[in-house]
Amino acid sequence: MTISTSDKPFLTRVKESENDHFMQQSVAKAQDAQWDKRTAAREELGNWEQWRDLGEQIRQHVIKYLPDYLEQFSDNVEKKGGHVFFAQTDEQAVNYIKKIAKEKKAHRIVKSKSMVTTEINLDKALLSLPETSLMETDLAEFILQEDNWDEPTHIVFPTLHKNRDQIQKVFNKLGYSGSNDPEEMAKFARKYLREYFMQADLGITGCNFAIADNGMINLVTNEGNADLTMAIPKTQIVVMGMERIVPSLKEAEVLDNMLSRSAVGQKLTSYCSFSGPQVSGESDGPTDFHVVILDNGRSNALGTDFEPVLQCIRCGACLNVCPIYRHIGGHGYGSIYPGPIGAVLSPVLDGYEKFGDLPFASSLCAACTETCPVRIPLHQLLIKHRKVMMDKLKMDHSFNNVLMKGAGVATSSPILFKIALEGAHMGSAPLSKSKETSVDNLFNYGHIEKAPSLASGWTDVRDLARPPKHSDDFRSWYKKHKKEQQEGASHD
Amino acid sequence: MTNSNREVFLDKIATKAGRTRHQLKNHPFVPINDLPESTLAGKSQDELLELAQKNSEAVHVTFEKTNRISLSTLLNDFLSAKDINNLILPTCDKWAAFGLSDWENKLADSAEFWTPESSRTENLAKVNAADGAIGFADYLLAESGTITVATTPGQGRGFHFLPTHYLSIIPKSHILSRSRQAMHKYEAAIASGKLTTSNINFITGPSNSGDIEMVLVVGVHGPLDMTYVVVEDL
Repeated sequence: MTISTSDKPFLTRVKESENDHFMQQSVAKAQDAQWDKRTAAREELGNWEQWRDLGEQIRQHVIKYLPDYLEQFSDNVEKKGGHVFFAQTDEQAVNYIKKIAKEKKAHRIVKSKSMVTTEINLDKALLSLPETSLMETDLAEFILQEDNWDEPTHIVFPTLHKNRDQIQKVFNKLGYSGSNDPEEMAKFARKYLREYFMQADLGITGCNFAIADNGMINLVTNEGNADLTMAIPKTQIVVMGMERIVPSLKEAEVLDNMLSRSAVGQKLTSYCSFSGPQVSGESDGPTDFHVVILDNGRSNALGTDFEPVLQCIRCGACLNVCPIYRHIGGHGYGSIYPGPIGAVLSPVLDGYEKFGDLPFASSLCAACTETCPVRIPLHQLLIKHRKVMMDKLKMDHSFNNVLMKGAGVATSSPILFKIALEGAHMGSAPLSKSKETSVDNLFNYGHIEKAPSLASGWTDVRDLARPPKHSDDFRSWYKKHKKEQQEGASHD
Repeated sequence: MTNSNREVFLDKIATKAGRTRHQLKNHPFVPINDLPESTLAGKSQDELLELAQKNSEAVHVTFEKTNRISLSTLLNDFLSAKDINNLILPTCDKWAAFGLSDWENKLADSAEFWTPESSRTENLAKVNAADGAIGFADYLLAESGTITVATTPGQGRGFHFLPTHYLSIIPKSHILSRSRQAMHKYEAAIASGKLTTSNINFITGPSNSGDIEMVLVVGVHGPLDMTYVVVEDL
């Protein structure tokens, strides 16, 4: 499991992010721009809350019947001549993909942007094969690769933390001699990657949605590299998280519309493609088509309060409204899945030991929940993570737990509470010591230096005052004092 | 069944979820509302054309309206304006329907064609060398300014992505309101056997990226520009 992007402690990462002023400005600018675009796109569509109802319904339905839809999908892929591999772990997925690459004698691999392949650290595994080169072809991923595999900072805009001068320097190493103008640099990348594309023998893509009833996969992109990855190489391997499935083209179309509006404020992205293995008569597209369906910790959410996290369609809208993400950026989270969705998903996938800090990286303002197109209750799930951590990881399950429950019963019953007060002084006698009252000893009735069980938490670090005699305690004093006042008033 | 690991995988997730497998046939998906169908419903073809133009131009598309008589002139103007020297065309039976048989025949020697007989390498090399492509779309979606194309033996996947400049011809009668209507058409065509394809592309304007400082760059991997030509056929 490699969703971790840093070995540094959470607070160190946060401190580093606070000092990265360019990143903070970039994130703020992106959030503000996306707010305008996203809001406008949703308003123009109209009935956005009802669209959210539909999106939520689709996602909840497929998660509820996930095994059935995956079975239907894999049957249909195989009917088309494709192959499906079910991987429970990242290791199983990587080994299968390496096996295919070896069988196909693939030497030039092209990839389109895919979070799930980053999750399983696929690039480095494939580059370990002899005489194999690999190219990330999404512009942002290409920049990260050529910048010594820098980590992404956003699930939709992975290079948000880099400025044009930094990117120019990265490209200079590849022979680029132009300016820092984004358009000029993008044209350089186009030419550079096109030459690589034309000789590629294996293409690897992610999958926005798998279409259960026809075995196609759906990709939603803007650059066109994913479609070239699906057109040019003879072999294609699709890697998908097991939850990325929809019943039919119709539900894919609904979610593509919601994804495009939520991710980038577009009605549809430049390219929404529905694709499978080449059919008879066609000359491009993959003749060998593989789909790897990955669990890798996702099933930890099934049947639990965290199941709604599997509804996610990876639009990144929750990142774009989050005040915490605005300040610490993606690298602050230390997971390839940052922001509110990452703070919920990362502990599900890889445990609290690594990502237990993330549910606390939230103001619980609920902006993430409000913007989520498929109504994942993100802030509630963050609270739930905190509860689970407290209950499972921090709660004392010894005899003290029974004592605490007993104390709870006693303090909630007036009769028992009164009996306890009346007997406290006598009951504490065997443990108490008396000293002459002084500046260092203000305990009029003595004190306890070493108490058993629950109370030891107190006496380990300080003395515990012995309770006063019942006739001298506050309640008795108050009763007596009140009576005296009333009598004084009646005499007046 | 080739994927022997499937049953173990699916049983495991069913157990974890605490739900029994094979319940779907009794619980098919029934949408909670009809928004995909009702949004932009009831518009005339003229209204859809106007909407399509507005939304196409919003995504940096050059939008042209013409008729069969003027179409060839418009195409020649496109070739001149873009200074296209290596044109690629699809192999299909639509030329006559658009009154372009003579225009196509005149280009037979100078233009390249994506042909069913050519190999993968040959077709991809031709289209990669092309600085312009003129193809046919199946539908134009008014809401988003999207053309849709299903891959065919005569118009492959790479045809839409590798050329530098791209022009798509769409009959006015094939303007649909939204992507839902296109899905209905494709599902029906595939179910009836009228369409056999491995791939359907929904293309909304030229390729673009905001990966460098969120600055919009038009034309990254796919065509640098897109022209839609809607031809009156009603």
